Amino acid sequence: MFAFILRRLAVAVPTLLLLIVLSFLLMHLAPGGPFTQERALPPQVLANLNAKYGLDDPLWRQIWNYVYGIVVHFDFGPSFVYPDRTVNQLIADGFPVTLTYGTLAFLAAVLVGVTLGTLAAIRQNGWLDYLAVGISIGAQVLPNFVMAPLLVLVLTLWLGWLPGGGWSFSDPSFWIMPVIALSTSYMASIARITRSSMLEVLGSNHIRTARAKGMPERRVILRHALRPAMLPVVSYLGPVFVSMITGSVVIDIYFSTGGIGKAFVDSALNRDYAVMMGVTILVGALTILFNLVVDILYAWIDPKIRY
Amino acid sequence: MVIEHDKMRSLAARMTQPEVRGRSPWADARRRFLRNKAAMTGLVILLLVALFAIFGGQIAVWSNEELDFSVMGQVATMGQPSLENGHYFGTDDLGRDLFARTVQGTQISLLVGIVGAGIAVIVGTLYGAVAGYVGGRTDQIMMRTVDILMSIPYMFVLILLLVMFGRSMTMLFLGIGLISWLDMARIVRGQTLSLKNREFIEAARATGVSTWRIIIRHIVPNLLGVVAVYATLLVPLMILTESFISFLGLGVQEPLTSWGALISEGAGTMSYGTLWQLAFPLFFFVITLFGFFFVGDGLRDALDPKDR
Amino acid sequence: MSKLFTTTALLAALALPAQAVQPAPGETLADSQTYTYWLLDAIKTLDPAKNTDVEGSDVLRQLFEGLMNEDATGAMIPGVAESHTESEDGLTHTFTLREAKWSNGDPVTAQDFAYAWQRVVNPETASEYAWFLELMNIQNATQIIAGEMTPDQLGVRAVDDKTLEVTLTTRTPYFLKTLSHATTFPVPQKVVEQHGDAWTQPGNLVGNGAFMLESHNLGVDITLVKNPNYWDADNVVMETVRGVTVNDNNIGLTRYLAGELDRVQIPAGQYPRLSQEYPDQAVSIPYACSYAYVFNVSDKGPEALKDVRVRQALSLGLNRDIIVNQVLQGGQKPAYSWTHWAIEGFQAPDAEIATMTQEERTEKARALLTEAGYGPDNPLSLSLQYNTDENHKKLAIAAQQFWKPLGVNITLNNVEWKVHTDRMQNQDFDMARYAWCADYNEATTFLDWFRTDGYNSGKWSNAEYDKLMADSKTAEDTAPLYKQAEEILAEEVPAAFVYHYSKVDMINPTIKGLPTQNVTNAWYAKDLYRVAE
Repeated sequence: MFAFILRRLAVAVPTLLLLIVLSFLLMHLAPGGPFTQERALPPQVLANLNAKYGLDDPLWRQIWNYVYGIVVHFDFGPSFVYPDRTVNQLIADGFPVTLTYGTLAFLAAVLVGVTLGTLAAIRQNGWLDYLAVGISIGAQVLPNFVMAPLLVLVLTLWLGWLPGGGWSFSDPSFWIMPVIALSTSYMASIARITRSSMLEVLGSNHIRTARAKGMPERRVILRHALRPAMLPVVSYLGPVFVSMITGSVVIDIYFSTGGIGKAFVDSALNRDYAVMMGVTILVGALTILFNLVVDILYAWIDPKIRY
Repeated sequence: MVIEHDKMRSLAARMTQPEVRGRSPWADARRRFLRNKAAMTGLVILLLVALFAIFGGQIAVWSNEELDFSVMGQVATMGQPSLENGHYFGTDDLGRDLFARTVQGTQISLLVGIVGAGIAVIVGTLYGAVAGYVGGRTDQIMMRTVDILMSIPYMFVLILLLVMFGRSMTMLFLGIGLISWLDMARIVRGQTLSLKNREFIEAARATGVSTWRIIIRHIVPNLLGVVAVYATLLVPLMILTESFISFLGLGVQEPLTSWGALISEGAGTMSYGTLWQLAFPLFFFVITLFGFFFVGDGLRDALDPKDR
Repeated sequence: MSKLFTTTALLAALALPAQAVQPAPGETLADSQTYTYWLLDAIKTLDPAKNTDVEGSDVLRQLFEGLMNEDATGAMIPGVAESHTESEDGLTHTFTLREAKWSNGDPVTAQDFAYAWQRVVNPETASEYAWFLELMNIQNATQIIAGEMTPDQLGVRAVDDKTLEVTLTTRTPYFLKTLSHATTFPVPQKVVEQHGDAWTQPGNLVGNGAFMLESHNLGVDITLVKNPNYWDADNVVMETVRGVTVNDNNIGLTRYLAGELDRVQIPAGQYPRLSQEYPDQAVSIPYACSYAYVFNVSDKGPEALKDVRVRQALSLGLNRDIIVNQVLQGGQKPAYSWTHWAIEGFQAPDAEIATMTQEERTEKARALLTEAGYGPDNPLSLSLQYNTDENHKKLAIAAQQFWKPLGVNITLNNVEWKVHTDRMQNQDFDMARYAWCADYNEATTFLDWFRTDGYNSGKWSNAEYDKLMADSKTAEDTAPLYKQAEEILAEEVPAAFVYHYSKVDMINPTIKGLPTQNVTNAWYAKDLYRVAE
């Protein structure tokens, strides 16, 4: 197990390097630069800007300086579009926001999804089952860019219950809509997966044995059925996490949460090289880390798997 | 909305088992599939949507780009769905016929979905089969590469690609297709490993058939079930991805459109009294995704029946 | 022009009492004096030297104060400058500053202005708006930006603490009008040097405006509170100003209707409905920006567009009435001139095209195209490039349909902003959507664009036009020259002008004091107050 983790972490380094070089090249090949703007800058001003940010160096040198800055000083460079801030600051501002509503949405999706799926499986073909299946069918494919404006319309304008956007770490009323909009479709998928795998487990021999021994139903479900039924859910969690980070773009746009999702799209569109690189590296590192966590979790749940 | 890998692995394992009963698993599967109500409903929906995409253009009174000047500027009152003026689904904000646009959006979205999934499946199958069959160091390198690629946040790279190369159908196909071949490659490799030492492959090898030919003629056909199921389940994912890209404004060029573009336009104006602009495209989007899910799940259950 | 002189004369003998913000008779002030307005995007920087956009300028105008301010009609009124004199040759301007303080209590001095302006042109600052000081024709600005001279050689000098002397390279009729621009605001040298790039963070920032920075959550909101050290603080009623970022305009409107915002832009096409439902809230005021489709007539451009008849035909074929009345629907006006109609002292020439009916225009366009050799058997194919935006898309689609009956096939090319700009600047397009907003309230801000050495992305060039623009710099009466210049544009059609902007907003009726006649739409929170409902 330990060796497995080490091996995976060793792969992380070349992966991140590849990611850096790939996005760096893509970015620089794209037409326009950070200072391309409507009123074309006089060549001298442009030259001054490029000199200030080291953009007049050869590309390999820029990559080298960039990687060097990160490894040695943990410095992700300056932002070209937000000259008052460094990339470190921008990420320090935006990432906790994304992490907060992302984690909450993730937990909500897993807890509600698993509960709903399990209940639906236990009450197979009962009203609860139909309700759960019905809701998850609708919620699963409703794009969150439809969901988000709908939530603002209903919860802010019509009912006046929640603020229509913005962010505050101290006031949970700002968290609710982002969490709902981000988690719903995953919640539905998790419920669906849980239901079908739970049904499968409940029909298996060892559950029949447990029941035959007269074990109370609640104990059967919690002690014996839930764990094996979680396997497919767990392997689904890695991709969920990644798509949630990607989906946070929509959340940031509609709810003005100031997270890193929008920061990434903006930086790509504005050619704010350093911000774009910083966010890509962050998300890449998170992806690697999370895939690793999911694998460990998987091994923990399913004793048959040995790495 | 992600494919359940456990079930895919189980299916793949079954599809490569030596046939014991001497009876084609395909015949059994067909019987089971036909009995599966959800899957059959899904199939009917997909057929209807396909007919809509192919023949809808013939019924449309307007083209997808004509502006109806009598409606333009007062869409909320004049542009609602109507049989009289030929706007069966109403018009969009500019007075363009939403029926024609939905037909055309359906074509693009289905095309993106199918071609994208096709690319993913072809690349994934060949890659996995080659890695698994050739084995040794090649396999090591190929699978490490997959590990590395797995950790790249693809949506980010896709956005970069579209930003860099501009919007084009080819880029969209490639970009979307390149996202999801990795899983396919892993599953196929695993199964190729177990197929590799079976008698018929060894026989082929003994008679001097070339490696490439063995992969194409003997390995790949034995993976057909997995490929089919995977492809069916990939299509809706591709359609979802495209809709997200369209939401970001990086989708196809006007006057072409797609479900994602139509839905995101409709969602913007949902409180302005033009709800049909959201409702019609969203309806087709939703039923099609479900069609594919039901058919995909049905196919998988038919090919890999569990005792229930 | 005359207005400009009046302003100057007024300033020279200045003894105007500062105008106090007072509720009109019958109005009672609300208990809570707050104003919350909509921002489309994050405020990128609060450094006057580095700011490049309108939303940033709006905030900077509250945090800092330049030599001049604008009143509700856009006329220049004194800011930090108390009086002003101009030398005979128009090359030396001398300003006397009033007793004003920074928010930390230090006095605002002439040195602060000199330092700020030197900082803008200093290559080390790498300001994207360094060109603004070149536009102002300040002596040596160009050479300093190019690194050929040192910043202290800039033509701006603090004679003493309260006297600022500015030297220009040439007489500049619009010079005073540039002094309310954020780039010319003073900055506190001590604070900038102490904190470096971080001097604009809440807690560090020191300004001389009527408001101080309370907090700034990038991409979420920015909050300003009243500055007790402001020289005219006694007359400032507003206590708190908040800018709230909502990236989606439709959501912005929803949140306005929910009472979260006091002002928001109305999404295209929604003005008629909203002005009916909320007649006291939906407003449309002229806004000095013009929208056009620029033709690429450079060597890299298509052959067809080099034929003036084709350009005329395309301009004629564009049904501007439908665009403003049925697409935009917010009080915009069809454009037959490049300069916005509401610009001070500008008289548009009587263009023939403006008075024709669309049928006549279409007919004439057909004739012109046939003459140029294009028609059903030799259709003209061109591409129209626009940057990703819902409204640009709508207009481009409409344009495509307007030109179709003329036998012109248009390929729409939607690209993101950076690519759009890059291609325009490299003449990599056939036709491209473009808009220009006035830097100051005078026609040259528009007309200079088409000079041979102007921004002029289509690379149209006309010697007569260049001469007119050069003459206008020193002319006593410029209006006829601008009119002639516009006549040349109407004849030569380097671009098809589409419409003149309006600012179409929902404004909470309890907020008073927002300018309704200022075409550059500069607003000052110190002039605002909220009345009780």
